[in-house]
Amino acid sequence: MTSIAANNLSVRRNGATLLDGLSLSLGPTGSVAIIGPNGAGKSTLLKVLTGIDEPTAGMVHVGDRDLASLSNAQRANKIGYLPQYFEPHWDLSVAELVRLGADRSDRLAAGAIEAVTEKFELTHLGRRRWSTLSGGERARVLLAAVLVVDPPVLLADEPAASLDIRHRLDVIRALTTRRPDRLSVVVVHDLDLAFTFFERVVVIDRGKVVADGPAKALIDDTRIDEAFSVRFDRLKTPDGWLLRASTGP
Amino acid sequence: MRVWPLLILALLLSIVIGAAAGHDWMSPADLLRALAGDTDLRSRLLIDWRLPRVLAAACVGALLGLGGTVFQGVFRNPLAEPYLLGSAGGAALGATVALLVPLAAPQSFVLPVLAFAGAWGATMLVIGISRVAGAVDAAGMLLAGVAVAAVLSALRSFLMLALSDETVSLQIVLSWVLGGVQTPTWPILGLLVAISIACLALTLLLAGRLDVLGLGETMAIAFGLNVNRFIAFAVLAGSVVVAAAVAFGGLVAFVGLASPHIARWLVGPLHRPLLPASALVGAIVVTLADAIARSALPPAEVPLGLVTAVAGGPFFILLLARRLRT
Repeated sequence: MTSIAANNLSVRRNGATLLDGLSLSLGPTGSVAIIGPNGAGKSTLLKVLTGIDEPTAGMVHVGDRDLASLSNAQRANKIGYLPQYFEPHWDLSVAELVRLGADRSDRLAAGAIEAVTEKFELTHLGRRRWSTLSGGERARVLLAAVLVVDPPVLLADEPAASLDIRHRLDVIRALTTRRPDRLSVVVVHDLDLAFTFFERVVVIDRGKVVADGPAKALIDDTRIDEAFSVRFDRLKTPDGWLLRASTGP
Repeated sequence: MRVWPLLILALLLSIVIGAAAGHDWMSPADLLRALAGDTDLRSRLLIDWRLPRVLAAACVGALLGLGGTVFQGVFRNPLAEPYLLGSAGGAALGATVALLVPLAAPQSFVLPVLAFAGAWGATMLVIGISRVAGAVDAAGMLLAGVAVAAVLSALRSFLMLALSDETVSLQIVLSWVLGGVQTPTWPILGLLVAISIACLALTLLLAGRLDVLGLGETMAIAFGLNVNRFIAFAVLAGSVVVAAAVAFGGLVAFVGLASPHIARWLVGPLHRPLLPASALVGAIVVTLADAIARSALPPAEVPLGLVTAVAGGPFFILLLARRLRT
């Protein structure tokens, strides 16, 4: 179990403020959806938490340690990252990509590759090359390559945004049904999915946390409407929520 | 993996063809007789002159294949090539200085050292420029490399015009710039073989991390790679390989571009099999190109670099066209 925390994080690039003194404590277990309008700083936050981008000010703590003090290997083993967009430069096969994901671990569990290959239904695709895969297959390969080491913390940046609804549900389910001692933090575009599948929802706007709480409690919070500059009708369904937006008065 | 025995067989075959080819063509029977220890003049010429030359060509080709693979891996661009990136141009400038400026040390020592210094210096310059200009990304480095290569080529031409008063030394530099494997003595050939094996070992150390880098910089960092430090180290290793190739073979164009491509078709894009396969392909290509260079216009020799450029230029255009179409 590993918690991850942003302490007063600021990121400024070329005169623009992407994160503005953002503080957020996540985990050590559970599923968290991060929502917010375009340009709110969601992707930047995930990249700084992963160690891909460096903050202009502030710190990231992983457990009780400063992220910057971890070795690259420790960081890669503790924190898994699923990018919004992934396109390998070489046309690797499915098995090779999963293998590269597994190679970052120095103590991979026995049978982890076979297990993850089976879990994401890739067994029959092992020799297929990336360029020949469909969007849904690619998403499963990426999930397998990142989750093969089963990192305590998983940070995912809308990995399913471009997929059709069936594959999007598959990906969200895979991210929210990990072992109970694991933490999954997912940037979600689709608010229905955020409030239906996740335990906790964090709303980010203009580089700051504007609302944060258990999904059940936060659903009625009008700060969500303010962040997205719309008015939401919240419709309860048997297994979740439907949020219908309108921009009228 | 049937492809490895085939590659090795193809290399042996091309060495036999290379040994047979030349101003005076030899039959396989002549080759066998010479190898069996015949003391006839033709046999001795073959053992003392032609065979070392053919094997040196194979080594130069292997080095070019390795260098090209490392550069394509680092820049994550299948069109990257030591000749586009300044490192071969730097090596050529260093070697031109060694050939034209009278220095205290013997040329056989100065030339490889200055070639390496040139390749390394040019590559560091390319990294430095792209750092100052912003991020160390693939496109920025490639563009910086193209600019540096152009400046170095102009400098080299200037040196050739300014420093050579006797036409003889200009001739030497020119034939070297156009690419050509010199005939080594057997001890020098031994050194070249040792260098080639060391370069293969050095580049194989990079293989796993080149694969991770190929996932893109974001994923590479997420998978625990220190991207900037690794790129700097890999470029350094690549310039050692390129400098060795340039020191022994002059400027031989397009082999560093084509070999990794052909090897990728044969063994796939993972670098651990790709590096040795690319070395073998490069060795085969240069051995055959050198055979053509020696036998096309007897008794004169066509510069090796011209042969590879004539064959490699269209290959490059073909790759470019295929890339633009997709």
